Amino acid sequence: MKFTVNRTAFIKELNDVSRAITSKTTIPVLTGLKLVAEADGLTLTGSDADISIQTTLSIADEAAALSIEKTGAIVLPARFFSDIVKQLPEQQMTIEIVAGFQTMITSGSASFTINGLDANSYPHLPEITAANSVTIGADMLRQIISQTVIAVSNQESRPILTGVHFSLNEKTFLAVATDSHRLAQRTETLSTDNTSVADVIIPGKSLNELAKMLENVEEVELRITDNQVLFILGKTLFYSRLLEGNYPDTTRLIPKESDTLITFNATELLAAINRASLLSHESRNNVVKLLISESGAKITGNSPDVGRVEEELHVKKQEGNELEISFNPDYMKDALRSFGNIDIEVSFTVPLRPFTLKPVDNGDSFIQLITPVRTF
Amino acid sequence: MRKIIHVDMDAFYAQVEMRDNPNLKNVPLVLAKDPRLTNGHGVVATANYLARELGIHSAMSANEAKKLAPHAIFLTPNFAKYQKVSQQVHDIFQHYTDMIEPIAFDEAYLDVTNNKLDIVNEVNLARRLQDEIWQQLALTCSLGISYNKFIAKLASEYNKPVGTVIIHPNDAIEFLQQLPIEDFRGVGKKTLLSMYQEKIYTGADLYHKQLGWLTNKFGRLGYELYQHVRGIDERPVMWQRERKSIGKELTFTLAITSQQRANDVLNQLVTKLVYLLKQYEKHGRTIVMKIRYHDFETVTKRVTKPDFYKLDETIILAEVLILFNELGGLKKPIRLLGITFTNLAPISFENINLPLFD
Repeated sequence: MKFTVNRTAFIKELNDVSRAITSKTTIPVLTGLKLVAEADGLTLTGSDADISIQTTLSIADEAAALSIEKTGAIVLPARFFSDIVKQLPEQQMTIEIVAGFQTMITSGSASFTINGLDANSYPHLPEITAANSVTIGADMLRQIISQTVIAVSNQESRPILTGVHFSLNEKTFLAVATDSHRLAQRTETLSTDNTSVADVIIPGKSLNELAKMLENVEEVELRITDNQVLFILGKTLFYSRLLEGNYPDTTRLIPKESDTLITFNATELLAAINRASLLSHESRNNVVKLLISESGAKITGNSPDVGRVEEELHVKKQEGNELEISFNPDYMKDALRSFGNIDIEVSFTVPLRPFTLKPVDNGDSFIQLITPVRTF
Repeated sequence: MRKIIHVDMDAFYAQVEMRDNPNLKNVPLVLAKDPRLTNGHGVVATANYLARELGIHSAMSANEAKKLAPHAIFLTPNFAKYQKVSQQVHDIFQHYTDMIEPIAFDEAYLDVTNNKLDIVNEVNLARRLQDEIWQQLALTCSLGISYNKFIAKLASEYNKPVGTVIIHPNDAIEFLQQLPIEDFRGVGKKTLLSMYQEKIYTGADLYHKQLGWLTNKFGRLGYELYQHVRGIDERPVMWQRERKSIGKELTFTLAITSQQRANDVLNQLVTKLVYLLKQYEKHGRTIVMKIRYHDFETVTKRVTKPDFYKLDETIILAEVLILFNELGGLKKPIRLLGITFTNLAPISFENINLPLFD
């Protein structure tokens, strides 16, 4: 194997692939980056067994200025290799297998030789056909992820809740996540005709990594099998393992009725909750109370060991019963951040039942649900 | 003006024993393991008034007490019993106020400024309390009543046993001036010597010292003494004082050698602990397991969770059994097992769960 490539173009791909590479793996070869040089391009692969990322630089890519002198494949220790490549002196670099798995990296007057591993020992990526696939806008996917992934659980005791539940049918795309104290649900109507049907749970960690790669991408094709999902982002492939099991039925959890309805600007409310949680975070009582009365709404926080806080909220619209409800401000903050600077409608039933937040002008396509805190 | 009562049970452990066994009433009684059984180890927990007349006092070595009163009866303290009786006394306190600061099994401060019975006259209230404890538990106590904790405590000690002493703000300075200097809180053996060197023998002598001089000489204590001798003590009755840990341990005369018995005991400990936690309305994030083997090798291990343990015997027992095995389990016969919960917080709130898996 021998090729010469523009370093800037190469590093960009290297950065993407590196997202999947971790030093904490039980499979030693996975600490490496796999490089495959073929006649028409260079493929980079990284994997931690849960997530695999593969991207290809084409010889047709002008900016990459790639020239393959000799085809071949190698696995190089990712951390060293990446550090080396980023510090080389010239724009161009050449990578060549010199003997066995020893690989030489040269750029200008600098030359490194590092020990690689046999590319044949690298696990094969799953083969996923286009049989069950759907294409959606990258911006939309990024938004869906950012709005739902906040609600996934980080507790391994219920592995299934560490993922986002995606269900896809002819018309709609539904994403739900919950850690049992809050729930985020996003529904999107598909514009193009879709014939694929799927019901999968994608690990939250995978989605967080994927979201970082969705900038400068227009469309994403999802291909789904029983235990893997593949996202195709142009020349980059993002594979993720799926979580096994049945996701709980969450549709019944979202209250259909409301006894108290109140409209806030999400950004303003977020700022107020941020202030109220300044004290509660210091305390073991991480609870903020919302009081809704005829005269408006206010939040209070009482942290016996620190102090008290009280703030009148700017209410845009209000109807229904008076109410007093306590909640964990962290859940509220996560939920509010997912809306951005828009008006939202917060809908309550009774003090110990979950309440929901949704955009005023967007129907039911996006809902954040939060369970309250029972105080004694 | 606050109304604070300091309640001090008279020779508490001895009194409980005499109540339960009248034969002990007219003999010197020392609550300590008989030194003959312990090779002279052990200290006196308390003694009845007959024994005190012979010069025996608490914290004295049991051996010494034996020398002073060879015919005294030595009784091993039964702390579980005293704790139970103490709880009964506290239940009576609760009839009057919730603002109770327990100091020990036999001692507590009560803030009765706003009491549940709306009794305005604090002396009437104190008498009623004293009487109720006597009627219900056949135990006597001494009460000190004043407008702060420091003077209330001095008052209860002033006329023991079965005393009721009230010190009004107008009388406080006079009362404090006649007190020997060693009766002031914080004046221990070492400070007492310095006091004597400075010719401070009474409250009056202390009263005439300048604040600057006192703080230079005694630091923070000097400041407190300056305040106290002027009858000033703003410390509140800490009725909501938080417990740092809740634990339970058992010692076995017959060492544990079988897993079956170890499991039974751990189960029993966990059940008691969960009961206690519920009583105190606390939950904890850390479990500490303690094993003492027959050769007195003592090992402990703790496990801390990011979230509070649910007060569920099965969950906690599972965790405890893991710790037990990690510590070495039954590698040697066991003489003591203990489980403690720390990192406590009041169960003042509970995040409601969505019924996802119901």
